[in-house]
Amino acid sequence: MFTFNEDRSLFPRHDEKGKPIVDVESGQFTKIWQGPIHPGMTGNMSLELTIQGDEIMDCVTHVGYLHRGFEKLMERRRFIQCFPICVRVAVPEPDFNEYCLASTIEELSGIEVPEAANWMRTLLLEMSRLQSYLAQMGGQGSSFGLGLIGQWTIWARDLVLDRFEEITGGRIYHMHMPPGGVRSLLPAGFVGRMNETLDEISAVMEEVERVLFHNSVFKKRAIGLGYIDPNWVDEYGITGPNARAAGVAKDVRKDNPYLMYDRLDFDVHLEYESDVFARAKVRYRDILTTIDLIRQILPQVPTKGEFMAEVPNVLHWKIPYGETYKRAECTRGEYGYYTVTDGSGYPRRINVRGPSYTHAVTLMEKMAINLNIADTAGVMSSLHTYPPEVER
Amino acid sequence: MSLKDVLMPFTAWGNLFKTPVTIKDSRNVEAAPRYRGFHMNDADKCIGCGTCEEICQNAAIDLVEVAGYEAKDGDSGLRPMIDYGRCCWCALCVDVCTTQSLRLTNEYKWISSDPEDFRFVPGVDEKHWNNRTEGYTKMDGYDLYSTQRVEMGELHAEERDKSFVEMIKGYSLEQAQKEADRCVECGICIATCPAHMGIPRYIEAVRHGDMEEGLRILYETNPLPEICGRICTHKCETVCSLNHKGDALSIRWLKRYIADQVPAERYKEILGTDKIVKNGKKVAIVGAGPAGLSAAHYLSLMGYQVKVYEVQEAPGGMTRYGIPEYRLPYDMIDKDIDYIKSLGAEFQFGTRVGVDVPLETLEKEYDAVFAATGLHLGRSTRVPGSDHKRVYQAIDLLRDVSYGKEIDLSEKIVVVGGGNVAMDITRTIARLQNKKYGKVGVTATCLEAEGSMPADDEEVIEAREENATIDPGWGPQEIIVENGEIKGLRVAKCLRIFDDEGRFNPTMDMENQKVFEAEMIVESIGQGMDISYTDNIKEKLTFGPRGRIQVSPDFQSDIPWLFVGGDIIEGPDVIHGIANGHKAAKGIDKFLKGK
Amino acid sequence: MKEIVNRLKEKFPVTAEIYQRDDLTFVTVEKKYGVDAVAYLKEYEGFTHLVLLTAVDWLEEGEFQLTYLLNNPKAKHDIGLRVRIDRETAEMQTAHHLWPAVTTYEQELNEMFGISFPGSPRQGHRFILDEAWQGPPPYRRDFDTKKYSEETYFPRPGRSKIDPSEHMKKKLYPEGM
Repeated sequence: MFTFNEDRSLFPRHDEKGKPIVDVESGQFTKIWQGPIHPGMTGNMSLELTIQGDEIMDCVTHVGYLHRGFEKLMERRRFIQCFPICVRVAVPEPDFNEYCLASTIEELSGIEVPEAANWMRTLLLEMSRLQSYLAQMGGQGSSFGLGLIGQWTIWARDLVLDRFEEITGGRIYHMHMPPGGVRSLLPAGFVGRMNETLDEISAVMEEVERVLFHNSVFKKRAIGLGYIDPNWVDEYGITGPNARAAGVAKDVRKDNPYLMYDRLDFDVHLEYESDVFARAKVRYRDILTTIDLIRQILPQVPTKGEFMAEVPNVLHWKIPYGETYKRAECTRGEYGYYTVTDGSGYPRRINVRGPSYTHAVTLMEKMAINLNIADTAGVMSSLHTYPPEVER
Repeated sequence: MSLKDVLMPFTAWGNLFKTPVTIKDSRNVEAAPRYRGFHMNDADKCIGCGTCEEICQNAAIDLVEVAGYEAKDGDSGLRPMIDYGRCCWCALCVDVCTTQSLRLTNEYKWISSDPEDFRFVPGVDEKHWNNRTEGYTKMDGYDLYSTQRVEMGELHAEERDKSFVEMIKGYSLEQAQKEADRCVECGICIATCPAHMGIPRYIEAVRHGDMEEGLRILYETNPLPEICGRICTHKCETVCSLNHKGDALSIRWLKRYIADQVPAERYKEILGTDKIVKNGKKVAIVGAGPAGLSAAHYLSLMGYQVKVYEVQEAPGGMTRYGIPEYRLPYDMIDKDIDYIKSLGAEFQFGTRVGVDVPLETLEKEYDAVFAATGLHLGRSTRVPGSDHKRVYQAIDLLRDVSYGKEIDLSEKIVVVGGGNVAMDITRTIARLQNKKYGKVGVTATCLEAEGSMPADDEEVIEAREENATIDPGWGPQEIIVENGEIKGLRVAKCLRIFDDEGRFNPTMDMENQKVFEAEMIVESIGQGMDISYTDNIKEKLTFGPRGRIQVSPDFQSDIPWLFVGGDIIEGPDVIHGIANGHKAAKGIDKFLKGK
Repeated sequence: MKEIVNRLKEKFPVTAEIYQRDDLTFVTVEKKYGVDAVAYLKEYEGFTHLVLLTAVDWLEEGEFQLTYLLNNPKAKHDIGLRVRIDRETAEMQTAHHLWPAVTTYEQELNEMFGISFPGSPRQGHRFILDEAWQGPPPYRRDFDTKKYSEETYFPRPGRSKIDPSEHMKKKLYPEGM
């Protein structure tokens, strides 16, 4: 459990709200800019840190390096044209965007998606979860100087990307879930190759278990670091593994089952220490669960049959007035799309609810205080944030 | 902190003895068979419809002119050029491609120092991946618009073969909008339509449920929408871009839908033709067929006083006297024509120009004359026995049916001919026989083999559904007459119709002959024109092939006041007649304004 | 869900209710009750998780719609509380005292839609946009991104657009109809 160092209590002085009163002019502080190329995350984001010695006294998150205005762009595009754009909101995990967008559009226009398509979507989302977790695991190790973990897991992630390439024709942006269904079913021989890949990843995970989770360096630095109080979960809108490591069972797959999750057997893993180490453990177990889920899904994905509902001509697809919100559990927490339509051929508004929105800004700013500057990267990667979803 | 935690990480050294997973030469890694790599377009298959350009959310695609591809029916002659500075390889262009000519190959390596290289026309520009067969293509079972047309309700064969009730029921609003939704708005059809109707625009009007706007668009180029919406030869549908991977759009039925929805009494208000300012000039029109009616409509709108001379008792020409009622009900013809009458056009029926009124009189009394007299003389096969009194011309019989005259039927009848008129008379006879004898005994035969008959496929199919026998591929040799009664038609198997030079010169297999039993023969091998009314001025006119009068693009003959159009110039079909009449009206206007 | 909405109705005038799904309801309240209704749902009805707060620009109606999407983690229900505010004045009471995360949402809405939340800590501070941004709030619908980029940046030279039907007309029937 995290404990305050005795010496630290001298500074900073806190105001009645508990925020440090930092007088930068006093000459006792240094202001540094960490980022936008940041060791703690994928993508570009900056932390404006006020430090005393190597201790952070104040932190302000700055985003905007990846702002491309996707929400606005989508307002000027036909519904089908939104689908190649939305994936770019979260580079390392684009499939959740595809799914959430497609399902809001389907709900608003009353389209029933064929079951085969739902199985395919479940498979793609779980594969996406697997590769995203693997990348995070590598980053988590690297942020504490354990570069070896990254070399292993990024290789393992590449194997998943190879399988994605086989199904969808793309490695990073898969663009396989247009509104109405999926673009294709599995290619011939895929199940065998995917099972091989899962075997290889399982072997890698065993090594990661030994080298990361039984590693005195990692333990020494990660245990007790970056504590998240369970009470903060609702206050800061914390979801996903960050909440689960604090002992709060939040998993959209269980809470509001979507796609085929109510037909799959899996557990929600909880830890209670709520530090960087606990979060890494939750993610590690989630990887194993995901591997198990993919093994459950593979035999159930139909090899033939309808995989695309009949959609209106996409060139003049109009959706009557309506609004809805659809969510899915991504590796970082609750991912959701709030879509408003107005009867025209274009969305009135699409709002992307990325879990990083609160994790990377409000929560990070709070957690950074009193943190050693060398630990910021470790804490940030344990929050697992992607800046593009903050600024969209 | 246990000793285990210090020692455990050293197990990583175990990897020293494993084969590395590193790829030695990453330049030659083959991408997956479905990889979305560089574009390839089968340029011969592509029709330049521009749907790829329309769907591209990055605006990466432009249609451009390329050497070797010219605009022609069903092909704009343009091909997509892709800007790889903008493309995101989402492959929506592949999914939406109407001809499925566009695909992505699984090539992903391309090096060039010239940025302009990365804007290219796939399939036309030489690229090193052009021969690759693997890559992303649209899967079967995945479509971004419906490839199947909305079924049109029809009367069952049993119901319809006894009556002359219209057999096509017409779309409901929901069906029409669903069908209109399929249109990709490429506009390829416009060039092929002889009248160049604003097809994508009126289909859009159906989609929006705005039939008044639809009617306005129809009347821009076609004053006979009820007629055309039923019996147009719909050349637009044969070039429809949707025809390549599914059913063509039902353009004709959608046109009919618009016209059917608007009641006749609202036409003037919707089309804004309540008040027409007359310009005091007069034009005579010879023939109240589609061409004459079209000219009468547009000339009336321009303010001319128009008078139409018609030899029959009612207007419509072939649409009334050549097409059976079950395909085109008479009240629908009247709806179109009554509107033209309401614009101020006068009609004089039962008057044959050249006999009852000489052409010279028209010249004197009017500022210009438009002659659109059509093809009303049946052609004979001239085989032995064809001069028998029980050998009829289809066109004469159809006219008699229209007039409500009793046809002297027999139980066994043979129709010679394989065009739409032949099918019309066959199906008419089938209905009449059914009424009279309770059974059908009509056989249609023609030179052309099965599958290459000039009639529309659905006509042949429907005729068979109505129990008529269609036996194509035979050439008539002799009409067998015994004791003054027809006994049958002797035919020989037709081997080929055209000779090596492409001339009409049928070859028969005389070894392979048979006899169709019949008591009555109907010939329907085409029609000829009767332009004897021009006899007195013949020397001033120029004649082209097949005796057609030569006219300018404005349908003006060598005699400036005489304009000629319709089936005797182009066609024969309704839509050419309408287009001719419209162009001639414009030509007359130009001629009279310049005078 | 129906009971919750009924209880909410007793406290605040609800002007519209839409039952979108079994687990998702949208209700509309007047601006003056907006934050109070959110606080009520949070404190008394268990909607403790703020999913998102965003705005929809109904330009034609001269109004912004603010949507507070709240989640009840126990009942697994969502309620979308909608408030219409005038587009001209574009002002709303702050709700940052209910969840610290609201500060960021309100900062973003202030920047991207020009809606002000007096009393919210980071109003007027840049969040996503560049400090040099001089234009109007870019997520308002009257800000035309395409026009802006055409005016600000230069198009790639040498591109031309040919419409297939126009091209066919030029080539095949230039005299027209």
